[in-house]
Amino acid sequence: MAALTTVARKAPAPAPTPPRGRRAAGPRRTPPVVLAFVLVPLLAEALWVFWPALQGFYLALTSWDGISAPRFVGLGNFREMIHDDIFRTAALDTALWLLLFGGLSALLGLATALLLQQERRGVGFYRAALFLPVVFSLVATALVWQAIYQPDGVLNQLLQAAGLGSLRHAWLADQDTALYAVIVPALWRQIGYVMVLYLAGLKGIDPVLYEAAKVDGAGRWQRLRHITLPQLRGVNAVVLSVIVIDSLRSFDVVWSLTRGGPYHSSELLSTYMYSTAFQSLRLGYGSALAVVIFLMAFGVIASYLVRAFQEAD
Amino acid sequence: MTTPHTSSSTTSAAALRRRRLSTAGFHAGAGALSLLWLLPIALVLVTSLRSFDDIAAHGLGSRPQSFTLGNFKQAWVDGGQQRALINSLAVTVPCVVVTLALAAMAAFALSRYEMPLRRSLLLLMLGGNLLPPQILLIPVSRLSELMGVYDTLPALIGVQVGFGVGFYVFVLHGFMRAIPAEIQQAAVVDGAGPWQIFRRIILPLTRPALAALSALSFTWIFNDLLWAITVLRSDSKMPITAALIGLQGQYVSMWNVIAAGSVIAAAPTVAVFLRFQRHFVAGLNLGAVK
Amino acid sequence: MTSPQTSRRRLLAGAGAAGTAALLGGCVTSTSSSSTTSSEGAVSLQSNLSAPQAKAAMQDLVAAYKKSKKKGSVDLNTVAAETFRTQLPTYLTSANPPDVYTWYPGSVADAYARKNLLLALDEVWTSPDLRRYSKALHTLCTSSSGKKVFVPTTYYWWGMFYRKSNFAKWGVSPPTDWDGFLDLCDKLKSKGVAPIGLGAGGNTAWVASAWFDYLDIRINGAPFHRELLAGKHRFDDPAVHKVFDRWKEVLPYFDPNGTAVAFQDATTALLNGRSGMMLIGTFFADAAPKDALDDIDFFRFPVIDPKIPLAEEAPTDGYFASARTGHREQVFDLLRYLAGAQAQEIYLKGSSGTALPCHPDAKDTGTPLVTKGRKHIEEAAEITQFFNRDSSDALQPTADAALTRFIAKPKEINSILTNWQRDAQKIWGA
Repeated sequence: MAALTTVARKAPAPAPTPPRGRRAAGPRRTPPVVLAFVLVPLLAEALWVFWPALQGFYLALTSWDGISAPRFVGLGNFREMIHDDIFRTAALDTALWLLLFGGLSALLGLATALLLQQERRGVGFYRAALFLPVVFSLVATALVWQAIYQPDGVLNQLLQAAGLGSLRHAWLADQDTALYAVIVPALWRQIGYVMVLYLAGLKGIDPVLYEAAKVDGAGRWQRLRHITLPQLRGVNAVVLSVIVIDSLRSFDVVWSLTRGGPYHSSELLSTYMYSTAFQSLRLGYGSALAVVIFLMAFGVIASYLVRAFQEAD
Repeated sequence: MTTPHTSSSTTSAAALRRRRLSTAGFHAGAGALSLLWLLPIALVLVTSLRSFDDIAAHGLGSRPQSFTLGNFKQAWVDGGQQRALINSLAVTVPCVVVTLALAAMAAFALSRYEMPLRRSLLLLMLGGNLLPPQILLIPVSRLSELMGVYDTLPALIGVQVGFGVGFYVFVLHGFMRAIPAEIQQAAVVDGAGPWQIFRRIILPLTRPALAALSALSFTWIFNDLLWAITVLRSDSKMPITAALIGLQGQYVSMWNVIAAGSVIAAAPTVAVFLRFQRHFVAGLNLGAVK
Repeated sequence: MTSPQTSRRRLLAGAGAAGTAALLGGCVTSTSSSSTTSSEGAVSLQSNLSAPQAKAAMQDLVAAYKKSKKKGSVDLNTVAAETFRTQLPTYLTSANPPDVYTWYPGSVADAYARKNLLLALDEVWTSPDLRRYSKALHTLCTSSSGKKVFVPTTYYWWGMFYRKSNFAKWGVSPPTDWDGFLDLCDKLKSKGVAPIGLGAGGNTAWVASAWFDYLDIRINGAPFHRELLAGKHRFDDPAVHKVFDRWKEVLPYFDPNGTAVAFQDATTALLNGRSGMMLIGTFFADAAPKDALDDIDFFRFPVIDPKIPLAEEAPTDGYFASARTGHREQVFDLLRYLAGAQAQEIYLKGSSGTALPCHPDAKDTGTPLVTKGRKHIEEAAEITQFFNRDSSDALQPTADAALTRFIAKPKEINSILTNWQRDAQKIWGA
């Protein structure tokens, strides 16, 4: 029985010949219907995403204020970026964000999914509790976390009550704590989301594997290491992309809490891009920053995925 | 296959106690975690029940000294949330259905068939999601103007579908790849075409993934703000997220009404999540192959 | 993946790229013009006055306009203030823009006028109402090309606001000059109160710019201030240094949490007696509980150099119209109505009532605060609008970063001003 599941990952290819030239459709070679299956979504995405994206890439080569005609400057924006202090700060902060926010959301998301994977009484409530921040509007989230982080807010009051009054800070206004303070609400919103992804993945693991391992005498940690984690590899690819995408696009929470401040100490590439494009009205430079963000995200994900594809095939 | 019951009464009692303790421990741990998680939301709830003068006089983090349900009415009527909620649902439900349908179709094609360029196509579609949406805002608004759908809800649906489909293709691709090929081969031998294989076999098998993704995409689309602001201009067409920030004033905001509005705005997504999480129970069914 | 397929793909890619480049330049940046003029249809009014009271007041206004006309109507669209700000360039450059917009006069309107996006309103300014507006308003609403592009309707003022009962409790009274102001701060500090409140945290960092503005117009005069904001002087100029030297004198009296709380929370602190006074605009009264409204009073920002002509900050609000509107005559009619005394009174009555009408005959809400405010502005020889309205929205974030950093680290003033100049250069040079 175990043999079947190990086969599950590979799609066997008893194919006669690989396609040559035009897609000469044999009976099992990509029927035209299947092509349509791909083309329709692709067209939708091409229209609404790729076409504007190309325009965005073109804007990165210009200097534009949103109103008058754009002025072509070639790679001038990118050259400016190299000498830009704020860009460097934002890039470092983004890397830090990726590690902390990304790493913690994956770990804690998996941990909570493992904790709440069994269908028992009350687990629906706990799952909903963890997922609730994900569905809560951003405006309310920002409001509440500002109330928590204020100098006389909930957090400082709790610290005072616990006798740790010396640790009180103006969390969002102090340049040393701003970035780390903002990671907490971002994690609060993200962990439920990652948990749901891992839950779906855990549900897909054949329980027969666990029973077999239990019969063989494997303890809980061994089952986790040797069955759960390897079986989750597919989900891990998804979770990694989610995390990278969300980290690099992590804009809402940071913007609404600190706007990248105080004086750029919690500036991420995404907030810097938004402020250049929509506050300083330098859309060319903002687009150039967006291109950088895109390349970073693509680089991380593509390298991982190419390796994953090579392994699987 | 009977479990050997080598128990004397004391061992079974000990096992029972251990099970009870572990259950209690689970509930204590999960309960504490949930409480921590819900604390900020409780704060929002409390704020939504206070009067504006109370908050203005004592601050947001203070103990409430008033109680009123009027904020909900104000958000619902004056804040235009009734209409905005309808707009949100009118956009989100078709979006989720269309996006997941398209994504399932594309994932099916890319994972179950040896299509040329399938890996590049997958990466390409996922790549669309890697772009920071902020930079697409102005090109998309121009595009919707060109197409004549600016300031209409179908434009918003179109943008959301186009922007979301790439990621869901990728996720469903991962799930569909894990389905053993024998099932599909058996169906082909029985004379099923791709559409039937898709509908009758693959789709039911990816139900847990589809359920999870429906809940997530409903949330994503429902809570979206940027695209709504970009392609819509009239306040009568705005979805609930935009209506919520519309409650903020130029200088001063009525936080109590906004908090009440957030609670109203969160209700549909919570309901959807609670409804769909039961579907996670269905695991991958390999019984057919046996 | 064989050669015919690849070369075909490459050809398609090449053609696509060429076509793309050709279209790209036009597509996203096109500012197409509409040439439809109709005398029917409603005028669309895009408003950023999203506070519930202001929105209701606007709806009253629109209803009153509809009643006064037999045909023609107004479609009021209210969007959140921040959304409006980011979308305004898109609105103005779209093919079918809204007709009338709420916005601010001065440099921020001129920026759009220079790009020929605003409707010339000289015809409206010939109306008897607008002809009686003050000379300052006339100048304010004229673009750099000499055409009128704006119709002002209300304005408010900035001042040092405090709570009367608290001042009485502490036994202090408003000062008349700078030294008196410092004495006041000392007295308040000795009573354990943070003398100067500030709400420059959260999303309201722009509040700190008021201090910069006022110190600049008190020390260097309003003309220098306007030129500085227009890019004609440098931020590392010695005159600007003088502003910050003066600011350092009062910096110890600022609330230590000043940059950590938004101004709405700073208002709460002021009313609770945790801070003594705050340099803020009258809109802050909207953040106060109703029972405290009668207790609020203000005094003029202390004069530092009596030789400099007295200047005050009095931001003006009003309307402008898109040059691409298809309803020119209706727009003119609407603007003429809005510039009249009755319209302004209707608006003030419905909104929070702490603003002043621009029409010389219109009655304000008559509260002691508003009456004092009117006199306060009339005594000023020069009026400035506020940092972002006198320069541009794009320059405001540079000020926010510079000023919050100064308040936290006043000793780094040299590098702060150098960086500010560098950041401002990017905006002015763009």
